[in-house]
Amino acid sequence: MSFTVNSTVFEGPLDLMLHLIKEKKLDLFALDVDVLIDQYIAFVHTMEKMHLEVASEFLVELASLTEYKSRKCLPRDESNLDAEEYQKDTREELVRRLIEYQKFKEVTETLQIRFEERSMQIAKPIDREVLRMAEEENLNFLQADSYDLIKAMKRCLQRFHTVSNTEVRITQRELSIDQRTNQLRSIIEHLPEPFSFSDLTADCLEVHLVIVTFLAVLDMLRIQELIFTIEDDEIWFRRSGYDGYDD
Amino acid sequence: MAMTIEAVLEGILFVFGDEGASLAQLSDAVNLPSETVKEILDDMANTYKDEKRGFELSVFNNSYKFISKPFVREYIQRILTLSKTRTLSQSALETLAIIAYKQPVTRIEIEEIRGVGCDMMLKKLMAQDLVREAGRAESAGRPILYEITNEFLDLFKLISLDELPHLPQYEETQMSEQQLFE
Repeated sequence: MSFTVNSTVFEGPLDLMLHLIKEKKLDLFALDVDVLIDQYIAFVHTMEKMHLEVASEFLVELASLTEYKSRKCLPRDESNLDAEEYQKDTREELVRRLIEYQKFKEVTETLQIRFEERSMQIAKPIDREVLRMAEEENLNFLQADSYDLIKAMKRCLQRFHTVSNTEVRITQRELSIDQRTNQLRSIIEHLPEPFSFSDLTADCLEVHLVIVTFLAVLDMLRIQELIFTIEDDEIWFRRSGYDGYDD
Repeated sequence: MAMTIEAVLEGILFVFGDEGASLAQLSDAVNLPSETVKEILDDMANTYKDEKRGFELSVFNNSYKFISKPFVREYIQRILTLSKTRTLSQSALETLAIIAYKQPVTRIEIEEIRGVGCDMMLKKLMAQDLVREAGRAESAGRPILYEITNEFLDLFKLISLDELPHLPQYEETQMSEQQLFE
């Protein structure tokens, strides 16, 4: 039997069966289960041949269909009425499940349309001012379950985002030690001696810059441009008179 | 002062925004019985359906709020870049439909109809606030029961669960009727 695979994604074995019924133009109400089973088995085999992972649900259904079919193939023992009963039941049960599933599948189409329409519609958030005024008063007769609490928390966070929705960009001013050294030199020119480390970091707004300043000062000490003393938890500097360049 | 009840209600709903106002709150505000207020609101809802209005009165679970008409979105999009609208997968829709029609319902019952496991899907829907737990069944193992939320009603423009489209019935009588029409 030739079999063409289409790329539709099936929600499950029942979805697949309904697809096969439609494709083979079978009547759901007078279902030829044998044709359906053959088609179903062929489909699952093709999936396997194509090395597609077959979800366990498809295999479970495959197993019960195979069992049903093999029982039918066995020579019928007229004295055993149970077997016939079983066949009838299995077939009826399958049809019942297919019909039940088909109902819900159909109704989702209507729901989908409603959903799409609603998702095009937008409401505006409640006025913040009103909310602020109302909050205290309403707390007294608050009746809510845990879901309301989760929802309230979500809304709270959303509101918080709306309030503080100014975009904040944190940029670090990249300043090399050499650049800072040059800056310090021009700062020092205007400072009466001795000057403290605090004087040198007066223009530093970030810790990062303080550290760069400190490293620059260390460098200036190394090349003996500055001399220092420590007094009362403060570092004091003096120019050495030696500019560190003419060596 | 010649203001109407309609104007007052409209004003309240405008201020309440997406929080919506309940019928009880609105009737309290205008000091009228809720049946009267409901009639007025229903009339108002009809007025807003007019194509000349850019928003409409949405009702679900006795809660009223204004939402823009679907056609407005396209125009908003010209000014603001709107993120893509939320989508729901076919399996999500099926699961929601089963819960909505059969609630309160256990996971096993849903799985029986769909023929596939729904554990993850239920967790997802609960995270999206469309489904919630509704106690436990008295049957063996006391499985968790699930029901849909108000969020679901809003999302599918349903006033209440009674508004759900009828499940198609495939009874013999209807079939023959259908065949007659063919």
